[in-house]
Amino acid sequence: MPIMERLSKSMQKRMLEWPCNEYENTPWTPMSKPLSESKVALVSTAGFHVREDRPFVGGDTSYRIIPRTTNPANIIQSHTSIGFDRTETFRDINITYPVDRLEELVGQGEIGSLSDNYYSFMGALSDVSQLVGHFGPKLAENLKTEGVDVVLLVPT
Amino acid sequence: MLKEHAMKVKPPRMLAVPFNFGNTLGEANNPSFQHEVLKSAFGLLHNTKGPVLTDFKVETVSDPIVQGSQVKNTSIQNGLSAKDEIKVAMDNYEAWLKQNDARTAVGLSGVHYSKFPEIVEFIVDFVKGRARDCPQKPEGVSVARFLRYCVDDLKAFTFESKMASDRQLNVNELHQWFWIETAVAALIMDLKESMSKHSENDIKAEAFGIAR
Repeated sequence: MPIMERLSKSMQKRMLEWPCNEYENTPWTPMSKPLSESKVALVSTAGFHVREDRPFVGGDTSYRIIPRTTNPANIIQSHTSIGFDRTETFRDINITYPVDRLEELVGQGEIGSLSDNYYSFMGALSDVSQLVGHFGPKLAENLKTEGVDVVLLVPT
Repeated sequence: MLKEHAMKVKPPRMLAVPFNFGNTLGEANNPSFQHEVLKSAFGLLHNTKGPVLTDFKVETVSDPIVQGSQVKNTSIQNGLSAKDEIKVAMDNYEAWLKQNDARTAVGLSGVHYSKFPEIVEFIVDFVKGRARDCPQKPEGVSVARFLRYCVDDLKAFTFESKMASDRQLNVNELHQWFWIETAVAALIMDLKESMSKHSENDIKAEAFGIAR
């Protein structure tokens, strides 16, 4: 995420005025085992999905399931915002969806294992009520069912 | 998200990275750098209490990317129309597909890239008020949404074609080239102008998302 001062004035204003939930507390779960024994899932907010899946539309709070073994040639990005550049993602999907990097970390013994499915939301949402009340908890249940210990959430 | 948002939302563990939006792990095709970012992120798991909000420090950060509205397009001097540019770029795009194991950002419109010259014709006609719809448009997709997808595809196609032959260009050089030198970019800016004045609200609403 860029530093506020490096954004254009209009973008700074837009970002500062962006509606954002504010919480008093943080849900905290300590690690019960080392990362090298943990199962990791990748969750994106960059609007990725399998090519044949339904594109994201403006205000879309739902998520898409991307099986971990999906060939990156079969993954596409339909995020509706033009507030971020996609050029580097054209070159290397790992810059926002580090699918190869995570496999390498398993190979190096740094991560225990990876979940069967990864997930993507679309960010830049001004109304997150459905996300907080429905899709977020639904994803959490999916992750628990898969036995995921750690989620790597990678935004745009 | 910016750090300012994170301080309100208070996720349990967060690594604040200083890269431009869309470049979360810093540098494309630089696995060792991306691993440095991931190592810092996973390192937050060692903390015994939270919330944890840590900055990823780098010595230099890339400049903000130039936008279409900030530069003057001079593509008319090249003598190629947008349709000509797309046709000329076909071989390079196919080279890109071979170089990258068929990985491509093209595909949102649902139109095969071999038909992109016809898509350009549709956009030209739309801008001139001669077309309201396109026979290539998939069922169930609005004209407004289809226009947005077509523009995204044409941009991805054009960038990937360029990168196939000029791999050393950095992001800003690519954007400068695109917005200043290509007829495709000039057409996209004309489309944005046309959509922003359209009588249909959903088309007007998509105008800002076409280009900045």
